[in-house]
Amino acid sequence: MAKYLSIVILVLISAVSVGQQRKFQINGSARGYYFDNDLDIDDQLDSITTRKANYGHTLMDLAVSVFPEKNTEIIGTFRIRNELGGFWGAGTSFLVRQLTLRGVAGGVVRYELGDIDLKLTPYTLHNFEEEGMVNEADVFALRRDIVHYDMFYNAGNTWRMQGANVGFGLNFSRLIDQINVKAFITRQRMTDGLAVPERLYGGGTLQLVQSEQFNLSVNSVNIFDLKETIPDSIQFKNSVHSMHLAYAKHLAPEWKGGVEGEAGFSETRYINYSDTRAPEQMGDWFYDVGLNLQSQPNGIRIKLGYKDIGADFLSPGAQTKRINYEKYPGVFQQITNDAIGRPMSYSDVISGAAETSVRISEELLVYNPAYDNATPYGAATPNRRGTYLNVVREDTVGFREIFVEAAYLTQSRGTGTLQKKKFIVFKAGADVYFNDWMGWKNDLKMDLGVRFENTSRSGEAYETITLNSTMVDAGLTWEFVSNFDVMLGAKMLMADGNAFVDLRNRYNTIENFAIADVSFTENLYAAGLRYRFNERNAVSAHYQMFNIVHADAQLVDYGITQFSFLLSLKF
Amino acid sequence: MRTFGIYIMLALLAVSCRKEDETAIDGPDLNDLFGPFSIVEEIKISHQTVNFPVDGNVFYSGELSKNTTWEISITGASTGAQRTITGFDRILSIENTAWNGGATNFPGFGLEDAYIELVFPDEPEAPIIRDTVTIAGTKIDDGYFITGFEEGLGSNWTVFNQTTVAGSIQCGSGEAAKGNCLYSFAGAVPWDWAIGSVMIRPDEGTFGLPASASNLFFNMGFKAIENYGPTNSFILFWFDEDDNGDGVFDENTEDRFTYEYWSTGNQWDLISILYSSLKTDAEGNPVETAGNGLPEPAKLVSINVFFLANPDNGFSEAQVDHLIFTTNSPYTP
Repeated sequence: MAKYLSIVILVLISAVSVGQQRKFQINGSARGYYFDNDLDIDDQLDSITTRKANYGHTLMDLAVSVFPEKNTEIIGTFRIRNELGGFWGAGTSFLVRQLTLRGVAGGVVRYELGDIDLKLTPYTLHNFEEEGMVNEADVFALRRDIVHYDMFYNAGNTWRMQGANVGFGLNFSRLIDQINVKAFITRQRMTDGLAVPERLYGGGTLQLVQSEQFNLSVNSVNIFDLKETIPDSIQFKNSVHSMHLAYAKHLAPEWKGGVEGEAGFSETRYINYSDTRAPEQMGDWFYDVGLNLQSQPNGIRIKLGYKDIGADFLSPGAQTKRINYEKYPGVFQQITNDAIGRPMSYSDVISGAAETSVRISEELLVYNPAYDNATPYGAATPNRRGTYLNVVREDTVGFREIFVEAAYLTQSRGTGTLQKKKFIVFKAGADVYFNDWMGWKNDLKMDLGVRFENTSRSGEAYETITLNSTMVDAGLTWEFVSNFDVMLGAKMLMADGNAFVDLRNRYNTIENFAIADVSFTENLYAAGLRYRFNERNAVSAHYQMFNIVHADAQLVDYGITQFSFLLSLKF
Repeated sequence: MRTFGIYIMLALLAVSCRKEDETAIDGPDLNDLFGPFSIVEEIKISHQTVNFPVDGNVFYSGELSKNTTWEISITGASTGAQRTITGFDRILSIENTAWNGGATNFPGFGLEDAYIELVFPDEPEAPIIRDTVTIAGTKIDDGYFITGFEEGLGSNWTVFNQTTVAGSIQCGSGEAAKGNCLYSFAGAVPWDWAIGSVMIRPDEGTFGLPASASNLFFNMGFKAIENYGPTNSFILFWFDEDDNGDGVFDENTEDRFTYEYWSTGNQWDLISILYSSLKTDAEGNPVETAGNGLPEPAKLVSINVFFLANPDNGFSEAQVDHLIFTTNSPYTP
């Protein structure tokens, strides 16, 4: 430990001395986070689980950027984390959070090596958001951001990977404006030398920008195991290839219309698997095409689209869920006298107690049908087809952002029956700034969001589905004194009906169905106080109450209250 | 540019018509998992009386409302022979319910009534269907039949019994693995493991078996009645081959392959040995023989069935029956 600290100090001293020649830059963040959790459950149901769980940590991420020459940058981020209660080094960890070498070679080719953030399209490589937020209140978002930051779930829906990324652009004077090329190769998994082969993930995009009106790109992502990294010859391969195009044209002085679409296919192979359940080869295709209408001066964007994602379309880079609902949360993992596993809730995701994905998965992870049954694997959810409409209005007085999204989707192939599931999704939200109307300098903002989802399937009594889930996200943030915010938030999920949960094997084949009686209410209320030292630094305290109440008396109702304190600094 | 955009749109529209597949589903059929059970078409048995060599198989026909697990249990009224047939189907037919007159293990069915029961274990509300079939002719075994002791001792057989042992063919006891007769060893031999043996030889020449040992199985029924168990008694086989074809087996110059089978309990066991496996011992090492070392069934001239038992345990008794060679798979009673 002393050795590591010496290295950090040495780096800091060196950085300061070299910094005067503008060959380095230091930035980073630090935080202190403390939790006090209380479990509320009927004593008769649970007399063995301890009711309190307290923990906390302080940490510092120190990012050092070194510029050996003007077109090259070396970024190293070191994390020192100290668990509260672990004195004298016990519970302290020191790790490298990021090490990236990047620059521009020959003034033409951009390159990155090491820890890189990658994203292509929603059907090829895209880290889609987790469930449970529709225009989330600040009191929740503040804490969710901590989880996102720790897991590298950046704002651009990128996946953090390790490998190399290169790109360059070519400008032309005739016919086309620009060609952009991007290619990457990453290491997803190292071999154990026995049964798990080395896995790589590579791909890229070739974008042709004809003009401001039209651009087209060809995208490709490929997972492949390296042969001869294990004695066995098993090999998993998955490729997704797509073409995206966008065409836009001024229809009126303030209005622009256009068409945008992406189409492609996936191919998956399980080579030399001895397991007879492994399909040797499977593939499917998709498309998503829509009409756009937007008025920049009025802040209006409208998209009407239709999409069809094949039942066997597999795109791990775009379908990996952030939350693994098969796992139990880190806090109060087992409850009741029978020590049953406690299912994941919204509260656990916000608190960082949920099991989260750090890399893409070739297996479709388990999902909770009450949270999202229509698109559990994001835009690229397989076996979905239908129409959607998105409307956004921004930059109006008071309502700085309003959005409405609606979709009607169906399965293209029935699961367990020829009858197909139908999904209706409605989502709406608004950021309401009361101070715009009242002429106040300080913000008084209300976040409103609602998501309604209906799943239905007709047929015989044993196969019918009716599942309604409504989620309300609401919050208020009031800067009652300059830089001092009071924050309130509520998140409510009402789910009622039944569901058939797909039970898939490791090859994504449905082997069985679990009948789920989904009738419960999940409530999450929070209040908090925040003082902002400046735009980047703040201290806040939060009190959060969560409970889940089932309609079925056989299922366990419980609640968790949580007090948390967060000091967040960036420099 | 506009034309190009239109072409792209047309291409997208061309692929936009996914062909509806109204027959394929993902996963198991929900009707099978959760649908109600009923008998759509009456379930009937094909024969009330059956002569298997003449009439062929006995089977059920009928239709259920769903694919579900079904189980047919057949029990011989006299022999106690058992046969179980299971499946997971909606349609019951000769394709999946055929009974060829065989048993799951020894003893086999004789000329007797067979009680048949059809149940649906996953369907609590389903009826149990019961029938009785009279067996007027038993099935004919496929294979190279050596003996079932029905015709008595062969002219070239050799019998060995310790002085305190009664070893002989017994008929009519109703305990035979197949048919009416069996060979029995019974007695106490406190001084030796050897109880008795019967060496079976053809009336002349060889048994007329095929040349290939790689797909030929030797089968026999064995039942230890007293002094049984995997450390107490066993059958030792000698398979003697006339390597030089002179009509006489010479243990000093020709192959004698041996095989031990230890008793597992006091029920009929079906011993099945792949003849080509005789060239190696239980650990897979080549065995030493006096001849060319190759299992050659076409040269087999005698089979010695030797019963041995732990002398410390007192009285020992065992029965053997129905020696038969089969090709490609072990014998099914």
